[in-house]
Amino acid sequence: MHVPLIIIGGGLSGLAAALRFARFIPDVLILEQHSRLGGLNSYYYRNKRLFETGLHAITNYAEPKDKKAPLNRLLRQLKIKRTELDLHEQNHSEIRFENRESLRFSNDFSQFCKEIELKFPSSYPGFTELVSLVNAYDPFAPAVFISAKKVIQDKLQNDLLTEMLLCPLMYYGSSVENDMDLGQFVIMFRAIFQEGMFRPGGTIKDLLDLLENHYKAYGGEIRTKSSVKQIISENKKVLGVVLESGEEIRCDYMLSTAGSEETFELLGTKSGLKTLPRLGFVETIFEVPPVTKLKKADNNTIIFFNTAAKFNYSSPREAVNFDSGVICMPQNFQNLAPLPYKEIRTTHLASYEHWKKLAEDKPAYELLKDETARHSLSVAEKILGNFAENIVYRDTFTPLTIERFTAKKEGAIYGNPSKIKDGNIGYENLFLAGTDQGFLGIVGAMLSGVSIVNQHILPRI
Amino acid sequence: MTRDAIKDLILEIIEDIDEDADFDTLESDKPLRDQLDLDSMDFLDIVMELRKRHKLQIPEEDYPELATLDSCVNYLDPLLKDA
Repeated sequence: MHVPLIIIGGGLSGLAAALRFARFIPDVLILEQHSRLGGLNSYYYRNKRLFETGLHAITNYAEPKDKKAPLNRLLRQLKIKRTELDLHEQNHSEIRFENRESLRFSNDFSQFCKEIELKFPSSYPGFTELVSLVNAYDPFAPAVFISAKKVIQDKLQNDLLTEMLLCPLMYYGSSVENDMDLGQFVIMFRAIFQEGMFRPGGTIKDLLDLLENHYKAYGGEIRTKSSVKQIISENKKVLGVVLESGEEIRCDYMLSTAGSEETFELLGTKSGLKTLPRLGFVETIFEVPPVTKLKKADNNTIIFFNTAAKFNYSSPREAVNFDSGVICMPQNFQNLAPLPYKEIRTTHLASYEHWKKLAEDKPAYELLKDETARHSLSVAEKILGNFAENIVYRDTFTPLTIERFTAKKEGAIYGNPSKIKDGNIGYENLFLAGTDQGFLGIVGAMLSGVSIVNQHILPRI
Repeated sequence: MTRDAIKDLILEIIEDIDEDADFDTLESDKPLRDQLDLDSMDFLDIVMELRKRHKLQIPEEDYPELATLDSCVNYLDPLLKDA
């Protein structure tokens, strides 16, 4: 078999890249190792219902008139109408540093500015300077790592506000410990604070089905449960892949969304990228009846919280660091149809090594999972008010769960801390998209796929 | 294809990219990009649509020839004369 383009990975970046290409040249093949599409943003069935993985909220909300906004550019590129997505904006979210300060934000950025002016008056002039910097900055121009933390601190002269601004941006997309690259900060600041958050009316499955249907309508092909064993290459040019089944498929171009180190392993070589710690996470879903009232939460969509004296976004020494995290309530978006359940999802930083050590000892692993869920519950109750007695179902994902289902090394959802921004990994016809190219979130991942196809493949084929 | 037909083809492709594109004030000798809010990603759509519809292979180095409506017509005229 021979196709013009093979895409490794049926996550959102791979699907978007495939759809973009198939609009013009239909013979694309997506190879997905799992039985379902979506990668990090997928779903599973338990307790007679569908559970989403990954998706809390989609960042980069934009009004239809704002044509240059990432969301609208993406939809245009994929020829998907906004109405097909059924967008619901967030109610409002919050950054809460317990017993110190809280900042509320929504999709109206001016409200967030007012909140900062009110609560951090002496830092406000610096904050407006920071916003001007964000507005003028080109995050896509090649640049060396600039510490966003230093730049923000320098403008705001306030440790607490600096940490509070970084907290949601780190949790929603930083693969680097306790800092971010300035370019990445600018992308995330725009995506979360200036643009805002939304979700589709249905589930992630509806979004994946929509993409799959458009793609198949153009004539594209998807093979699930098709793990790539090896990429065949010759003199920095790839010829095709060998699947686990032994089948060989040849191609003219290849796009890998498997991650940089993972892709080099398939090539039988090493990336040579600096080895930095990868960040792991645990997430617990608590399902409660829809009538459950949360005393301290008032319909928040997301709460980014920290209870420690210093916000520490790094790989923990223990299995999980419960001091900070994210609490998401996916039903708290505007005008969603009522659901027969309510979810409270908590996320914390976790140590892959800790969980990996227990992989062979099933009872100990399950015990740690159970302790993690209980501990996370007690943290969430301090922030939201009590709901333990209402829980009808509970499930926890560990870094091992994520590694198993997404093939992300060490279950690090944000991938390798060293990013390859232009997708060029030194091969004539093999390019990288997705997490390790540096665009994160659902809109970011999809734009990543589209832009690599536009930049490297469509003009040459 | 006549020069007018080529012009219509380009406008049709652009309308397909952005259904709100406003052609009333479009000046045919000025860059399309500035007048129509097209970015480089949208621009590639024009190239790819020409390929899909008329099997035209436009090499990357020729993309600047598609900058204005007039230059599009001039560039495509010899390529599409039998279309």
